[in-house]
Amino acid sequence: MKTVTRGLRRVLELAVLVGLYLFGTALASWLGWPVPGGVIGLALLLAAFATGRVQPASVQWAAGLLLAEMLLFFVPALMSLLDYGALMRDAGLRIVLVIGGSTLLVMLVTALTVEGLCRWSVRHEA
Amino acid sequence: MRLDALPLFWLLFTVAAYVVSRALYRRWPRYLLSPLLMTPAVLLAVAVPLHVRYADYAADAHYLALMLGPATVAFAVPIWQQRHLLARHWLALLGGMLAGSAVAVGSSWWLAGLLSLEGEISRSLVPRSVTTPFAMPLAESLGGVAELAAIFVMLTGVLGALCGGVLLRWLPLKTALARGALFGVGAHGAGVARAREVGGEEGTVAGLVMVLMGLLNLAAGPLLVWLFV
Repeated sequence: MKTVTRGLRRVLELAVLVGLYLFGTALASWLGWPVPGGVIGLALLLAAFATGRVQPASVQWAAGLLLAEMLLFFVPALMSLLDYGALMRDAGLRIVLVIGGSTLLVMLVTALTVEGLCRWSVRHEA
Repeated sequence: MRLDALPLFWLLFTVAAYVVSRALYRRWPRYLLSPLLMTPAVLLAVAVPLHVRYADYAADAHYLALMLGPATVAFAVPIWQQRHLLARHWLALLGGMLAGSAVAVGSSWWLAGLLSLEGEISRSLVPRSVTTPFAMPLAESLGGVAELAAIFVMLTGVLGALCGGVLLRWLPLKTALARGALFGVGAHGAGVARAREVGGEEGTVAGLVMVLMGLLNLAAGPLLVWLFV
């Protein structure tokens, strides 16, 4: 009986997160906002935590599961490579070089900027 | 009848390949065994010889991609738990995001020109650092192709998640904030998943930065269109 209630609870937790996403998507299209539904759902859930009526612990299991397995949800989009075989043979290496090179630069600059600003603000607080 | 014509074959096959590669990766944590690389490699090795089109694959497997929406909502939990850290360092994060975005746009355009890629491809490369739902319409208004932009976003995530780990090894970063922002700005979703492996705080920062990057790019979109069109 205990496992049944726990299972039911977990399904309910997932349903809350999916529901918030669907509601966010509907709201965005109704208002004509170009914001993804997930971002609106995220904002709503944060607002619910801020009121103090909803505890983060009440959706912790489902949130943990979705975040832990997020890599799986990215695989289908990668498979769109199936339709671009010719392009990838022609320009694939150059595209990978541009993306790889640019991404390395972005990471380097971002990390050093954040680190620098953090140290600066710590010095100024002290 | 071919096995792959069974309903939901590709969905089940994707999940199975992921679960197996994740187990292998836990046992032997090497980059080549990372589920983000292994799972599509196994799937492509089966799908390409069978001449499967993306539409056939997606008909089964798009349910998985749909879960990215609820996963975005789920970020509310770690963001709320780390709210004090984020409130304290919002300026550093904003600075990193602005610098990172400028470098993303500038360096993609510069490198694409250097390697003489066609205009249509270059224009689809520019909005790459954005998450997919934001990047696709932006690519079109820049004169690129939405589907190409989606592929480039994915490649950015994969390459970024892989290089980011290597970069962390020789960059002397003392704060979890910088390590998280590196992944969140550089490799969005896939980077966030990778940052969560590095540490809980890194994962939270990366997730928050990814969401904020999407919003920032929404504001910066018109500026890009003005610069490039």
